[in-house]
Amino acid sequence: MSAYIQGRNVNLTFRPPNRRPVRALQNFDIDVNEGEFLSIVGPSGCGKSTFLNVLLGLAKPDSGDIMLGGKRIEGPGTDRAMVFQEFGLLPWRTVQSNVELGLELKGVATETRREVSQRLIEMVGLVGFETHYPHELSGGMKQRVGLARALATDPDVLLMDEPFAALDAQTRDLMQVELLRIWQEAKKTVLFVTHQIDEAIYLSDRVMVMTKRPGQAKKIFAIDLPRPRDYEMRVTREFNDLKLEIWNELKDEITSR
Amino acid sequence: MTDDAAPHISFATRHRKVLLGGFSVAIFFIAWQATFLFVPFNPLFISKPNLILDSFVEMLFSGDLLHDLAVSGVPFLYGFTAAVVVGVSVGVVMGWRVRVGYALDPLMTVFYASPLVALAPLVIVFFGVGVSGKAIIIFLLSVFPFIFNTAAGVRAIDRLLINVVRSMGGTEKDLYLKVIVPGVLPYIVAGARIAVGRGLIGILVGEFFAASEGIGYAIARFGDLFALDKMFACILAIMIIAVVLTEGIRWAERAAFPWRIGQ
Ligand SMILES: Nc1ncnc2c1ncn2[C@@H]1O[C@H](COP(=O)(O)OP(=O)(O)OP(=O)(O)O)[C@@H](O)[C@H]1O
Ligand SMILES: [Mg+2]
Repeated sequence: MSAYIQGRNVNLTFRPPNRRPVRALQNFDIDVNEGEFLSIVGPSGCGKSTFLNVLLGLAKPDSGDIMLGGKRIEGPGTDRAMVFQEFGLLPWRTVQSNVELGLELKGVATETRREVSQRLIEMVGLVGFETHYPHELSGGMKQRVGLARALATDPDVLLMDEPFAALDAQTRDLMQVELLRIWQEAKKTVLFVTHQIDEAIYLSDRVMVMTKRPGQAKKIFAIDLPRPRDYEMRVTREFNDLKLEIWNELKDEITSR
Repeated sequence: MTDDAAPHISFATRHRKVLLGGFSVAIFFIAWQATFLFVPFNPLFISKPNLILDSFVEMLFSGDLLHDLAVSGVPFLYGFTAAVVVGVSVGVVMGWRVRVGYALDPLMTVFYASPLVALAPLVIVFFGVGVSGKAIIIFLLSVFPFIFNTAAGVRAIDRLLINVVRSMGGTEKDLYLKVIVPGVLPYIVAGARIAVGRGLIGILVGEFFAASEGIGYAIARFGDLFALDKMFACILAIMIIAVVLTEGIRWAERAAFPWRIGQ
């Protein structure tokens, strides 16, 4: 049986005009099961965002196959949603209106949109900021709007590009718990890019370490910690052994320049 | 909302922008008026604020001023409307198609930077002193701010936002309505603010050269007649219109694009 998300020999080279081409993904392979929580860690610039963009249908690989639920990914679709690394909020829309963007594009009625956005705005802790514009928000607040916006359309596949990077440690912990709750309740498939090994272990079923650019899958770690995960797990022997193992794998990619 | 209560600030502090701005305008006119307490006043060379104000009120109530303004207003409306339509269209193409932008940028810059009013006599020879001649001069002067600002607005559109809307299943139409138009509109309105000033110069210059009525003609004629009080009264009318239009646009910008305040 083939996996829910399946990438085989994916190659992608950026060719910016008047510059050297940059090879972002080389023979990249990946298998993700339906309902799985998979984290990706790898050095900066190794092609993580690029791969998520391929899955989202915004970037076309030069060669290789990339399948979702048995169908080749040809372009964007509402079965997938991304939490963008650079937020991508529309500056002329308020928090509420940004959260509702996807629903609006789907043609969902105003009342339903309001209900969904209000629930998510509560969840990400932005009550009272519904009518604020992005320029009036802190980085962490913007990131939470991006998170709420991606969740609003209730996608099957959630692509998260360092979604908690701009958050303070406490908010990050809360958001991790919320994300796990949503993932478990709604049975979503999550691809989660992060630079925090702790976070990757704490959340995931499996953690993939990527090589430096051009990005390749280097090694995959199965995280067999029991669920539901709790905060104390982070101080267990098992957790820290995993952390060390993953760090050792990653370290070589970062230092061998 | 959990806004902190506004701390008490005095009337003078709260309105200091308007107060200080009004203060220097008042000083200017007072100084002008007061100069003639020390310098002999010759009404053939100069006027002073109290006489200008008298003439202004007189011409306002006789209807002459409004008539001249209406005569000039019609070509202004035509020329300016054409400038919006043509300027925005050309600007969109120049901003969107990189090569068209490269091709047209230098040429348009030459036109924008050069004193196009110098062409006014030629336009009048071709199109006469009627509405069309004046409208064309106004068009020529005010179209370029629209072209350049629209092109800049289109170029400033964030690719990421396009990708965001596309990734959520947005159609081509959604891209226009939800990203491109709201992104470019503020640039166009800012262009309008510049274009208004240039358009007003256009109408004056057009009527200076050849006309039989209109506010520019009135200014030229009163100047020839050494009726400087009336000439300045007409200039005052134009100044008021210019300030009302540009400030009106500025106000509309703040009301319509609240999200730009922080940028
Ligand atoms: N639009 C683009 N044009 C040209 N090069 C690009 C473009 N996008 C990405 N790249 C290049 O591709 C490589 C991979 O970029 P990518 O954004 O996927 O990295 P990343 O793994 O997400 O890094 P980070 O952890 O810093 O976010 C980088 O070297 C980058 O310079
Ligand atoms: Mg990235």
